[in-house]
Amino acid sequence: MTQGIIENLITALTKLPGIGRKSAQRLAFFILTMTPDDAKGIAFAIIDIKDKARFCSVCFNITDTDPCNICSDTSRDKERICVVEEPSNIIAIERTGFKGTYHVLLGALSPLDGITPDKLKIIELAKRIQSDSVQEVILATNPNTRGEMTAQYITEIIKPFNIKITRIAYGLPIGSDIEFADEVTLAKALEGRREM
Amino acid sequence: MLKRTEGIVLNNSLFGEADLIVTYLTRDYGLLKVFAKSPRKIKSRFGSSLEPLTYSKISFMGKEDANLPRLTQSDIIKTFHALRDDLKRLLNVSEMLELSLKFMPEREPHFAVFKLLLGTLTKLESDCDNALYLLYYKIKFLEIAGYAPRLDMCGRCGTISYNGSYSGHNNFYVSHGSIICEKCIRDREGSIRLSDGTVRLYNSLIKWRLSNINRVKAPAYMLSEIGHVINSHIAYILGRSRQLRKENFAVGISP
Repeated sequence: MTQGIIENLITALTKLPGIGRKSAQRLAFFILTMTPDDAKGIAFAIIDIKDKARFCSVCFNITDTDPCNICSDTSRDKERICVVEEPSNIIAIERTGFKGTYHVLLGALSPLDGITPDKLKIIELAKRIQSDSVQEVILATNPNTRGEMTAQYITEIIKPFNIKITRIAYGLPIGSDIEFADEVTLAKALEGRREM
Repeated sequence: MLKRTEGIVLNNSLFGEADLIVTYLTRDYGLLKVFAKSPRKIKSRFGSSLEPLTYSKISFMGKEDANLPRLTQSDIIKTFHALRDDLKRLLNVSEMLELSLKFMPEREPHFAVFKLLLGTLTKLESDCDNALYLLYYKIKFLEIAGYAPRLDMCGRCGTISYNGSYSGHNNFYVSHGSIICEKCIRDREGSIRLSDGTVRLYNSLIKWRLSNINRVKAPAYMLSEIGHVINSHIAYILGRSRQLRKENFAVGISP
């Protein structure tokens, strides 16, 4: 019987990304040693997120309230929208102290994979710019071919609104060494150099 | 066993948290899919070498019959970033890449296709807006793959055209993949009517070398007619549901 419930937990945990059977086993035995409150806390948090998570109707971030905390925060700069591919990108940008608002596209354009503009939240972004008093759109899509294509496409779409459109800078990661950088990254870093 | 070759990245797809499955058109192994560990992390040693269109020297490891060998090294030879940096060009080039992805079987070396793709990308990089290169690539690719439309003979009776065309009666039938002569036509519905000049241009293009293409100046209507024939033909071969997706990529949605 005991083997059954442990086995169930191990099987359930292996469904998580990056968790193999060995790690799942280790986690399962760790959960056994946790206090009932801590263990229930994890379980309820999982149930909660599955029950309550939805997309914000304004920015398409994942939220439990609509509009999300960021969109309903009056201290935020509503004139600046940072456009990202995925909700997880918001968490990374929030760590920088950015105080504007966001717009999640829920993907990036990729004609080879059949991801066309109608599958992303681009029209919603255009409508948002039209109805709100937006002054700047920061395109923070990933610095790869898909992200670049998406940024260029959005630029073409929102150019008629005559607002400031900016793209996050390219360059070398802090702590890295120029010697190991590839030519494309280095060329982009040189292109985007600034006067000191 | 470690293997080395040269390849052009056709596509990459996300796998797991930070990994990629990269599809190459290689010189020695044809279409090859490899697994790359953590290239999406900022400090990855692969850098930008796994982006589509990048031509690089690669090393990969795996058993002879391994479905997904592991990419161990990728050194950029050419990035073709001029083609990647512009949305319209990238959309055109992605049609070329998609042809290889759709028509070529995995792990069957085909040097002619590799040479054609590399040659066309090199030419396109210096003459980005020459629409004839894209058309030439599609025609030559279909010819190598054995699917090229026949505009030099009737698809039913095999009569060879006089002087390169059927003198004003050039009706291309997608279902036959060829022109049908006046004697053999039963139903004109579904045919694509082509001008004599277009048919002559097509029949010449299929014989010409890539290095001669920059000398050709063709009128826009001829390019458009050939483009229509080729795209309809490809869509027919691939089936309606699998036609080239670039066609569905609406560039002009207005706010």
